[in-house]
Amino acid sequence: MKLTIFNGSPRGQNSNTNLLLEQFLRGFCETPGNSYEVYHLNQIAKHEEFVQAYANAEAVLIGFPLYTDGMPGVVKEFVDRLQPFVGREGNPAMGFLVQSGFIESLHSRYVEKYLRKLAQRLGARYIGTIVKGGLEGIRMQPPNMTRKLFACFEEIGRVYAQTGSFDPHLLRRLAKPERISPLLIPFIWLLSLTGLTNFYWDMMLKENKAYDRRFAQPYCE
Amino acid sequence: MKITILNGNPDLSNRDFDRYLETLQEALEDGGHAVTCMTLRDLNLHYCNGCFGCWVKTPGECLARDDSGGVRRAVIGSDLTVFASPLVMGFVSALTKKMMDKMIPLLHPYIVFDRGEMHHLARYKRYPQLGLLLQKTIGSDDEDLALASEIVSRTAINFKSKLCFTKLIEEPIQEVVNEINHI
Repeated sequence: MKLTIFNGSPRGQNSNTNLLLEQFLRGFCETPGNSYEVYHLNQIAKHEEFVQAYANAEAVLIGFPLYTDGMPGVVKEFVDRLQPFVGREGNPAMGFLVQSGFIESLHSRYVEKYLRKLAQRLGARYIGTIVKGGLEGIRMQPPNMTRKLFACFEEIGRVYAQTGSFDPHLLRRLAKPERISPLLIPFIWLLSLTGLTNFYWDMMLKENKAYDRRFAQPYCE
Repeated sequence: MKITILNGNPDLSNRDFDRYLETLQEALEDGGHAVTCMTLRDLNLHYCNGCFGCWVKTPGECLARDDSGGVRRAVIGSDLTVFASPLVMGFVSALTKKMMDKMIPLLHPYIVFDRGEMHHLARYKRYPQLGLLLQKTIGSDDEDLALASEIVSRTAINFKSKLCFTKLIEEPIQEVVNEINHI
């Protein structure tokens, strides 16, 4: 089977989305004869070429980070270009990967409904949507912190190669937590007073010598 | 009330859409509102490339040298911002979504809990209410409308705001005006 991947991260090749897609492909490629091609949707100038790749694809996987509760603009640009394929027979099966900075998966569930409808609109088999939250910064984490996460993506790819579907048990496991337990919230709030929860942002702000201006309101000045 | 209407119609030949917004603007101004209408396709807007410069390098401002700053200023200075777009493939146009992505400089990277969910901290004291004005196109149905409305309602939570209405340009202008007058 050949899988056509569209990486919808505005950061392109050096993105968390791409990193996760690579893990998926590792499992997918264990099945002999499987192959793939990857297109980076942030290369807007190449969208016409990417639409051709869609037209000839057997199955597609579109991955993206959640941007203001939906798909990033570059992904919507590509989706809008698929309009001529509405009503065409034999459109490729569609699977999706949505990852977010927020820890809870619930944020991604709304666009997931849209994606299911998108496959339906194109008359395509809907493979499913892989949802994972809490990922900002994974590219900076040491291997022992990401091992389990990557193994799970690899396993989803492996099962997909064998069955043509995403394993619902793996998807559920990966998507945890769906929402943060109300019991944990006061604890996290206390933690935030220590500055620990915003550590990542503070570190980046300081690195850029912008920490003192972090509360700037440029449109009120 | 100060109203900013963002026209996300990408298609110059879709004259009905632009004409509807022009008439709506006149009707709102006749009713005493101050209306700014921005036609997004006429602006130089870069896609958000996820650099997070607006959060960690120049807090509150996008690094891209494009026209998005003027749009953000008009949005944050308004009492109501209306995203107006034809439905394209069941959602707002890519042009509209491109601009929505460029709203994140209006927020702070820090995380807070709002109604038991993670969201971003407010950067500004007040945010406009949101409205969604859509146009049905070939192949669009009520479910598209509901899904688009739901996604933008979620965005409204992140923007410390509320989606006050979702309307179709197939409805009489007076109905949209009434809806806005009730906010």
